Amino acid sequence: MLLTSVIIILREVLEAALLLSILLAMSHFLHLRLRWFYAALAAGVAGSVVYGVQLAAISDAFDGVGQELLNAALQIAIYLLLLVIASLLVVNYYTANYYAGERHRGILSAAMTAAVAMAVLREGSEIFIYLSAFRYSPQPWSGVLAGSLLGAGIGFSVGALFYYLLVGLPRRRALLVTCVLLTLVAGGMVLQATQLLIQADWLPAQVPLWDSSALVAEGSLAGQMMYALVGYEATPTSLQVILYTASVAAMALLLLLTRYHQKKIRTARDVSQAR
Amino acid sequence: MKSIRIYLVVALLSTITLVNFVSALHGYRASMAEAQQLFDRQLADTASLLSAMPASADRPKVVERTGHLAFQVWSPGGRLLMRSANAPPQPINALEEGFENVNFSGQRWRVYSHFSSERNYWTQVAEPVGLHFHLADKVVLESVIPILLGLPVAGLLIWFVVGHGLKSLHLLADALRQKRADDLSPLPLENAPEELLPVVQSTNALLARLQASFERERRFSADAAHELRTPISAIKVHTHNLERELSQYRLPQSPLSLAKLQRSVERMAHLVEQILNLYRTTPDHYPAKFEPLDLHELAREVIAEQHADFAGRGQAIELTGGAAPLEADRFALTILLKNLLNNANKYTPENGRVEVNTRVDGDRVVLRVDDTGPGIAEEEYGRVFERFYRVGGDRHPVPVGGSGLGLSIVQHIARLHHAEIQLDKSKFGRGLSIQVRLPASPGYLSPKGDSSD
Repeated sequence: MLLTSVIIILREVLEAALLLSILLAMSHFLHLRLRWFYAALAAGVAGSVVYGVQLAAISDAFDGVGQELLNAALQIAIYLLLLVIASLLVVNYYTANYYAGERHRGILSAAMTAAVAMAVLREGSEIFIYLSAFRYSPQPWSGVLAGSLLGAGIGFSVGALFYYLLVGLPRRRALLVTCVLLTLVAGGMVLQATQLLIQADWLPAQVPLWDSSALVAEGSLAGQMMYALVGYEATPTSLQVILYTASVAAMALLLLLTRYHQKKIRTARDVSQAR
Repeated sequence: MKSIRIYLVVALLSTITLVNFVSALHGYRASMAEAQQLFDRQLADTASLLSAMPASADRPKVVERTGHLAFQVWSPGGRLLMRSANAPPQPINALEEGFENVNFSGQRWRVYSHFSSERNYWTQVAEPVGLHFHLADKVVLESVIPILLGLPVAGLLIWFVVGHGLKSLHLLADALRQKRADDLSPLPLENAPEELLPVVQSTNALLARLQASFERERRFSADAAHELRTPISAIKVHTHNLERELSQYRLPQSPLSLAKLQRSVERMAHLVEQILNLYRTTPDHYPAKFEPLDLHELAREVIAEQHADFAGRGQAIELTGGAAPLEADRFALTILLKNLLNNANKYTPENGRVEVNTRVDGDRVVLRVDDTGPGIAEEEYGRVFERFYRVGGDRHPVPVGGSGLGLSIVQHIARLHHAEIQLDKSKFGRGLSIQVRLPASPGYLSPKGDSSD
């Protein structure tokens, strides 16, 4: 049970921790207050408990695929929020010399609060459901608990070190690295949503395009890291690959357009000031 | 990264957790593999033992008590010779040498099939897989749990160790925080940790540069005072001589221009003196010499010195209160008193009243000057301490010359003595009351509110 618990908890915690560390690092670069973070954490934890308690009703909805659909909806919502967050990051970077303007700051904080709350809700509910399954189990809790603690410990540690790694980046590179990471995480969200929609039969099931489990096994630590960061799957279908590529390309394009637009505005302002 | 301590604790704890937990996982997997081999060896040994036991094909023997183990012994012809009560009568698995996981009796089993070439028996021994994992989990948990429990202890230790390591930084910050504005002496270098040495050295170099700069400024102001006073004194002498020379022409009275010239020279002399006083009393520049003195006595001396000015305008000046011991800079405090009295003298109308009161209030010595002048509107209280600010500007209701520096100088001296200034309405009903609350002499504390009036 220990190893199973490690893998399940690590998978959930790592995914939330990496997203959190990227957004926290962004918050650090833009000198945002951390109130949004605490609010998101509280909302996410409360939401995951409600989700766990109402699991039966959620699962029964939509002809028994309510859980898959709700999870997919959460993943897609997080993807859309990440689009907004990344664009605002670029806007703030170019407008007020890294300092977010008051209007942008408010929208950015709200978007980050919503994204983190949803991510914590999604991952927290999985952990809650997994752990509550052992409530009536005759098996001893020690293995599950030790495994969960090991998984959570590894997940949080990777998240914390990843945060310090990002915060330690030179400001010049921070924007590029954060945008690339956000794009990959956003792609991962779409990939997972696709998989959930395939499970719910809302999207057609297909034969896997390749099998890279011999190269990186999904259950290994590296596999879990890649799953959390880029939504790694050893056996993706062609539909998953297409949707992943499209979502990553859409976000990259949006970021490039925002950057180009902001640079143009800044150049125009510099010219008018020079006159 | 707002706190070095939090950064170090979180980063160190995360690193330790990551390394330890990943090692524990590797250990767990290795231990599980080892345990699996051990269990497999046990199954193989049991199979060998069973194949050596006598068995008859006529009447298959059913063994009742075998614990978790299930077994079967088959003849080469496929007839059951012996089995445990928990094993099915048909073969558990295909009769092929080796290990395999098989489901029967509602659970998953690890099965070993063995062929004994001596007796031509097939033996199959099975043990629940769950039992393997349970036993292995139990063994491995014994080694994992201490790591889990040790982590909070490690966190606590790291917190204290990092706090201790940062003590030198806190001490340096305290030393810098407690430095007086005029204390430019170098920070002590002894016992400074190697990492902080460059910071202390750079700070000391900066302090030395500041000291040299202030010294140059002080010398400049002293020279400027001398250089400015000399020509003004010369102009005064020349105007006096001019007045005498003009009187030889037997004019009925001195020309108006001469009177204006004399007033301007007086005003200029006063302004220069005030600017120099303002500069000299800047807390950052002024090398104060604190000594025990009695404010009441000092006020008496200053009043006596300026009494002629009050008498000249028919004003009544009164010193009330009692002894007010404190440690202060005599020169600076004399300038403060002179400025307050000068203001009271200038702005109080002829035949008005001025009262100077000194008393001790708790741990403070209070100097209060009340007059019957026009007073200051409450909304102006904050601004009158600004340099060159005069209430009403040149349209001041009282047509007296002033530089607008007197109260700025008073504020400098108050700051130098860590004193507070309060402006209020005068006790006479009209006019201004200025209260300066200075720290009393150490060891001289009167009950709060005790007034020596």
